Amino acid sequence: MRAVAKPVKASKSVDALDLDLARFAIDYAGKIGASYADARLESTQVNGFVLKNGIPQIAGFDRVSGIGIRVVMGRTLGFACTNDLARENIRRVVEKAAKLTKAASRIGEQTEFSDAKPEVANYEVKQKVKLADLEPKDKLKVLFDSEKAIKTGKVNVPGRFFSMSDFYTERYFANSEGSRVLSKIPRTDFWYFVTVEEGGRTAQRYWQYGAAGGFETITGYNFPELLAAEVKATHINLKKAGPAPKGKVDVVVAPQITGIMVHESVGHPYEADRVLGREAAQAGESFISREMIGTRIGSETVNIVDDPTIPGSFGYYLYDDEGVKARERWLIKKGMITELLHNRETAAIVGDKSNGSARATGYDREPIVRMANTVFKPGDHKEGELIESVKFGVYIKNFMEWNIDDKRLNAKYSGAEAYMIRNGKLAEPVWRPTIEISTPKLWSSVDAAADNMEYHAGTCGKAEPMQAIPVWFGGPSLRIRNIKLGT
Amino acid sequence: MAAEIDLETKKTEDPRSIAAYLVSRLKKKGADDVVVSASREEAAQLKFSNSLISTTQSWQSDKLNIFVAIDKKLVGTSIRDMSKPAADDAVTKLLKFAAAAAPNREYMGIAEGPFRYSGIPETYDKAIAGLGETAVDILSGAINVAKNNGAKRTAGVLETTVSSSYLLTSNGVEAEDTGTQAYFSIRAFVDKYASGHHVCNSRVLRKFMPEASAEKAATIAKQAVNPKNGTPGTYDIIFAPLPFANLIESVGKASSIFNVESKLSCLAEKIGKRVGSENVTLVDDGRLPNGFNSVRFDEEGVPTQKNVIIDRGVLKTYLHNTSTARRHKTKTTANAGLVTPLPFNLIFEKGKFNKEEMIGQVKRGLIVTNVWYTRFQNYEAGDFSTIPRDGIFLIENGKVTAPVKELRISDNLIHILQSIAAVGKDQEALFGWEVEIPTLTPPVLVKGVRVTKSAE
Repeated sequence: MRAVAKPVKASKSVDALDLDLARFAIDYAGKIGASYADARLESTQVNGFVLKNGIPQIAGFDRVSGIGIRVVMGRTLGFACTNDLARENIRRVVEKAAKLTKAASRIGEQTEFSDAKPEVANYEVKQKVKLADLEPKDKLKVLFDSEKAIKTGKVNVPGRFFSMSDFYTERYFANSEGSRVLSKIPRTDFWYFVTVEEGGRTAQRYWQYGAAGGFETITGYNFPELLAAEVKATHINLKKAGPAPKGKVDVVVAPQITGIMVHESVGHPYEADRVLGREAAQAGESFISREMIGTRIGSETVNIVDDPTIPGSFGYYLYDDEGVKARERWLIKKGMITELLHNRETAAIVGDKSNGSARATGYDREPIVRMANTVFKPGDHKEGELIESVKFGVYIKNFMEWNIDDKRLNAKYSGAEAYMIRNGKLAEPVWRPTIEISTPKLWSSVDAAADNMEYHAGTCGKAEPMQAIPVWFGGPSLRIRNIKLGT
Repeated sequence: MAAEIDLETKKTEDPRSIAAYLVSRLKKKGADDVVVSASREEAAQLKFSNSLISTTQSWQSDKLNIFVAIDKKLVGTSIRDMSKPAADDAVTKLLKFAAAAAPNREYMGIAEGPFRYSGIPETYDKAIAGLGETAVDILSGAINVAKNNGAKRTAGVLETTVSSSYLLTSNGVEAEDTGTQAYFSIRAFVDKYASGHHVCNSRVLRKFMPEASAEKAATIAKQAVNPKNGTPGTYDIIFAPLPFANLIESVGKASSIFNVESKLSCLAEKIGKRVGSENVTLVDDGRLPNGFNSVRFDEEGVPTQKNVIIDRGVLKTYLHNTSTARRHKTKTTANAGLVTPLPFNLIFEKGKFNKEEMIGQVKRGLIVTNVWYTRFQNYEAGDFSTIPRDGIFLIENGKVTAPVKELRISDNLIHILQSIAAVGKDQEALFGWEVEIPTLTPPVLVKGVRVTKSAE
């Protein structure tokens, strides 16, 4: 991965936010009877560009700002938000939320928060190349260069869709227990979707790249080169791939597949709000129960963490949206289930402490339990060694289609670029090898991990209304022994 | 601490006067087209789980969206504060941004107004606007109905929204609308592996039926107890309205010309061609009475209308805005999206069968009551898979014989449309987690659907 600036202390000046408004909202909530209150005051500057088949679509810039307030009234938690930051309006919004929450308390859950040390902090992610210093044409150039790289190649790519966005978010969290955390986090996001044609058939690929940092995170990827290679590989697969083998084979998956596997088959079912039924009607529940902590789910090779503090990561933060200090969470250690992702509410229910997993996509959403950056820890092998060790199998580099049931027990990962492995060597391309497997079978079949760590970006969806939040997922190449490929 | 724009001391103006000011200023500065839309929204939600309210949520938002075309350079932004200094600031930034942007040579302008607009029945109800804490009583009643019908626990949301919009363009369009919405989603559980889901929505309170949804969700959950492992293979599937709406939404999105051009559509180059069986008639209606997304005008101010997308299996039109329509030498279908035309309310025309008659036609099949996580391997080809969730029921020789679990539908969207053998006579209005575009649909019977499952 590219190097990204380490977080440093933020300056004291905040251009866009009147921090006193958070204190005002919290104090007012207390005055009208809230036993707990917190406020997130936020301003995000956004720039976005889209290129479709070489034609720029609308370009946009925006500053999204507002305040989100949580109150505990009676026994129940209420959330309210507004983008009208006049004090009189904030007062009105808090009153309305308090009234509704008080009424809801009659059939409301008893909300409790686990103990958390009040934190006072101020941090930011530095930008080597400041997003605000660039002109739209500088950003569009990345898209045009990507277009050019594909158009000048020999592959017919009738569908070319690229988007790029950058965000600069200043967020101030304060609560009635004395926490005050100010963060300034820039993020960049690049997304492509290409359709490759050969002989009247098509194959499609999309992928996303995202990071916390300045424009250096975009230029560091070299998208023109990356996309040229992507369409070339997709074309070869489309033109030459034979059928994937049926029946049980050894499979080596590359980091993109490892990444989606750890996100879907580990990260999500370890979200404590799902385990406790809080997302049952939306993102679903989990096959994991509290009683399964300490039990085996995979082989000794399986070590999976979720870590918001990875410098430069898309899911980066040092304090969560309840003001709790972030840390690395070990979800699976040597194949054993070790920890769930908690916010202060879910932690209180199980008699534990929050591990800093509360996130909201913006001021206008309630913080809920989310992943940040979920990764399979690297092993000692080289990827080549994993391939050499397979007599007859399949190497899957990336994917297009995937899904998993809402308890996270049965997943499908359908390969895009993939090759046969014959006698320890990569051989001919294969068409859409599909792993359709239960979660325990998957992790118990992993017997070796390489050292080629990669981190990939995604936008993870959860909650109602939807909260699409930036995350990384990743890991090294893995060897998965003797699993049945479907079709 | 000083704010960049002093939000508390500026003089706040009426959104209409600021919209007029913006259009005038931008035109004077050389803009070819300007669209300004003011929107105000207040919403409240009761989120419940384990049969108790876990959170209340309230949203309030006011903003002005601004779209500008200058020398075919298209730029958008929004402002929250309705003051002339904020508007001046936005104009300066828009012009600067446009000057440095690149032209869209395919852009062909916005609609020429003015237009006349007529009201749409059942899109505003002061009873919803003034519902307030009474929503707790409505929710409490629904949770109790689910409990009385066998649910051990329930989860979901009850949400109400009041919104208003005002639109002004540089081409003589001035339009306004107000609306209310009520939405309910409930998932009922008898145990961890026996669940049912139902949703309902309405623009008027008297047609909002959360208790009926609660009963349906609980009934499915109760019937789904002790499921046996499903087996992969080819099945005739009766899709209940909720899961079929999820698939129909993919067809609706595929009918947008933007998605056709982006290779995100399995309907490309199929105008006038058969894409479904005779049983398939799909309509988009922006003026549907009590339609959850009905609105008097689209994003460029064209009065919304009814469009037949698929007529008895034959693809009739893509969805357009003025610019895409001019480029394709056709008329707008009044589905702007200034960039991406999209459906408002999808309607799958009803048929003549009741549920028992449809079950009776099936020798080996499934009833699927919900799906989630629909993902495409190839949007252009229509290859996808989706996962049934909640009650799945096996049909053998015309009778429902057992609940089953852990199956996946792995098929093709065009194949699904072409294999619709029977259509139910009772439509349901769906919207929610897996149905982003409001859809009115009956259940359908699809022949020969490919079903897979995890090998181990």
